[in-house]
Amino acid sequence: MRKAAAVILALAFAAALAADFTAPYSYAEQFRDIPDAAASRPHPLGTDALGRDRLSRLLYGARLSLLFAPAAALISVALALLLAGAAAIAAPWCERAVTAAADLCLSLPWIFLLLAARAALPLNTGVWVSALVTFGLLGMLGWAAPSRVMTAALKCFLDSDFVLMAHASGCTRVRLALVQLAPNLVPLAAAQFLIATPTYLLAEANLGLLGLGIPEPLPSWGSLLRDLESLPAAVAHPWAFVPAVLLILVVGCFHIVIPADEYHI
Amino acid sequence: VKYAAALSRRLVLLAVVLLAGGLAGASLVRFAPGFGTDERMLDARLNRQSMDALAASHSEGSNIAAYYWRYLGRLCRGDLGVSNSLSRPVSELLRERAAVTARSVGAGLALAWPAALAIALALEGIRRKWCEAAAASLAGALLCVPAAVIVIACFDVGGSPALAVAAILFPRIYRYGRSLLRQSGGAAHVLAAHAFGERRLRVLGWHIVAPAAPELLAVAGASVSMAVGAAVPVEVLSDSPGLGQLMWFAAQARDLPVIVNLTLLIAAVTAIANLAAEAPRIAREARA
Repeated sequence: MRKAAAVILALAFAAALAADFTAPYSYAEQFRDIPDAAASRPHPLGTDALGRDRLSRLLYGARLSLLFAPAAALISVALALLLAGAAAIAAPWCERAVTAAADLCLSLPWIFLLLAARAALPLNTGVWVSALVTFGLLGMLGWAAPSRVMTAALKCFLDSDFVLMAHASGCTRVRLALVQLAPNLVPLAAAQFLIATPTYLLAEANLGLLGLGIPEPLPSWGSLLRDLESLPAAVAHPWAFVPAVLLILVVGCFHIVIPADEYHI
Repeated sequence: VKYAAALSRRLVLLAVVLLAGGLAGASLVRFAPGFGTDERMLDARLNRQSMDALAASHSEGSNIAAYYWRYLGRLCRGDLGVSNSLSRPVSELLRERAAVTARSVGAGLALAWPAALAIALALEGIRRKWCEAAAASLAGALLCVPAAVIVIACFDVGGSPALAVAAILFPRIYRYGRSLLRQSGGAAHVLAAHAFGERRLRVLGWHIVAPAAPELLAVAGASVSMAVGAAVPVEVLSDSPGLGQLMWFAAQARDLPVIVNLTLLIAAVTAIANLAAEAPRIAREARA
């Protein structure tokens, strides 16, 4: 099951990354004489209300989401590692401060902060800057959960025999961090990265449906889902469901790929 | 005495967290690149004086520390300021809309918790692998669907905002609850109770649910925060006049007074819910 999920993810990433070659048209190209067209040979998923090819927009949208969501997850994990390291190694007050900040971040519904910060962008912000800021904010707000897990793991490692042995052998702090602790943290960081990526894919989709995601004409999974706002109309054009199905499939595959014991409460 | 001391420490921490939360919300908006931008400034019909007046109307929040200090002073007197975009006192807006959100969030929690717990308990009782797999697949599938899509689907089948909140919360509560009950059910004393021939219901109630109760209560506290977060897409997509919709409007209009007050209110609600959920654990630790 995990292998199949990994293959599906690899295929989705490959198709999305090669969008320049796999997409039949540009994401912004409009066929103004055939808006809302049904699926046909030149347009396998039909066209949207502005006459843009849905398949091309899906492939370019997938590329944006599948590149930026992992990047945001990397930001979260890097921030979490940094703060967990500070909390575990520095003075106890530092750990208390990081824990309190993580508690605050976890107790606040992130969507409130995200809405506030995302909507406070200038009116004339470019689409790529807006996309970068959206995912950047997601990455910066999502550090708390991985930081908690990593702080606990780091404290465990610091109390373990191999670290005691390293200390006794005269290992410097830098060497201890780089040679002894970092390799042990890599699998944990990888799991947290895999947990964060689908979360950010879903967060972007939610923001897109609320009209605060990636701005037009740049496609993303969130903006493509806006066709579902009017569900009866979408039922009449079943190909409008394809982005949602693909998003659910990719997020599901991420959940399957993550080892079950990496879900921490 | 120990309990009172532990509780008061938590209350002080809560106050600090609230103040920090409010300041963080205000700072996030103040330092966002578009702060002070007003859509009306794009109106070519406005002359220089009107533009200056619009810019001046946004200048109050330019010094974030001064703004927050003045805000706290006014808050002590019960004055939450006036909304820039809706030109109405913020306290009035919050009072009107809090009831709508409280109703949908409360009803959503009241629907999701019994459903999730009932399924988790039933599975712990019957212990059939295929039932477990079916429930896990359903919860997993729901977790893969964006909350906003769940909301649209709920409204399409004639569901209420409360049902939409419950549909978003159910898989999360089920997953946490089931995981806790499974952990609790795998303990050695449960095996011993089964071996001694205790009745299933008694084992479930006394040996599985009771030890997991403090953690379940902590999840209940966290689920309030999830429910308030779920209220945003629910209220925006259903045009329901609650706090979630107000936050969405305020965010689009860059309305700092509403954003700061709402952030503080939401932080207070979630922090108090978490504190209430942790109170039994604090009491147990104090006794120990």
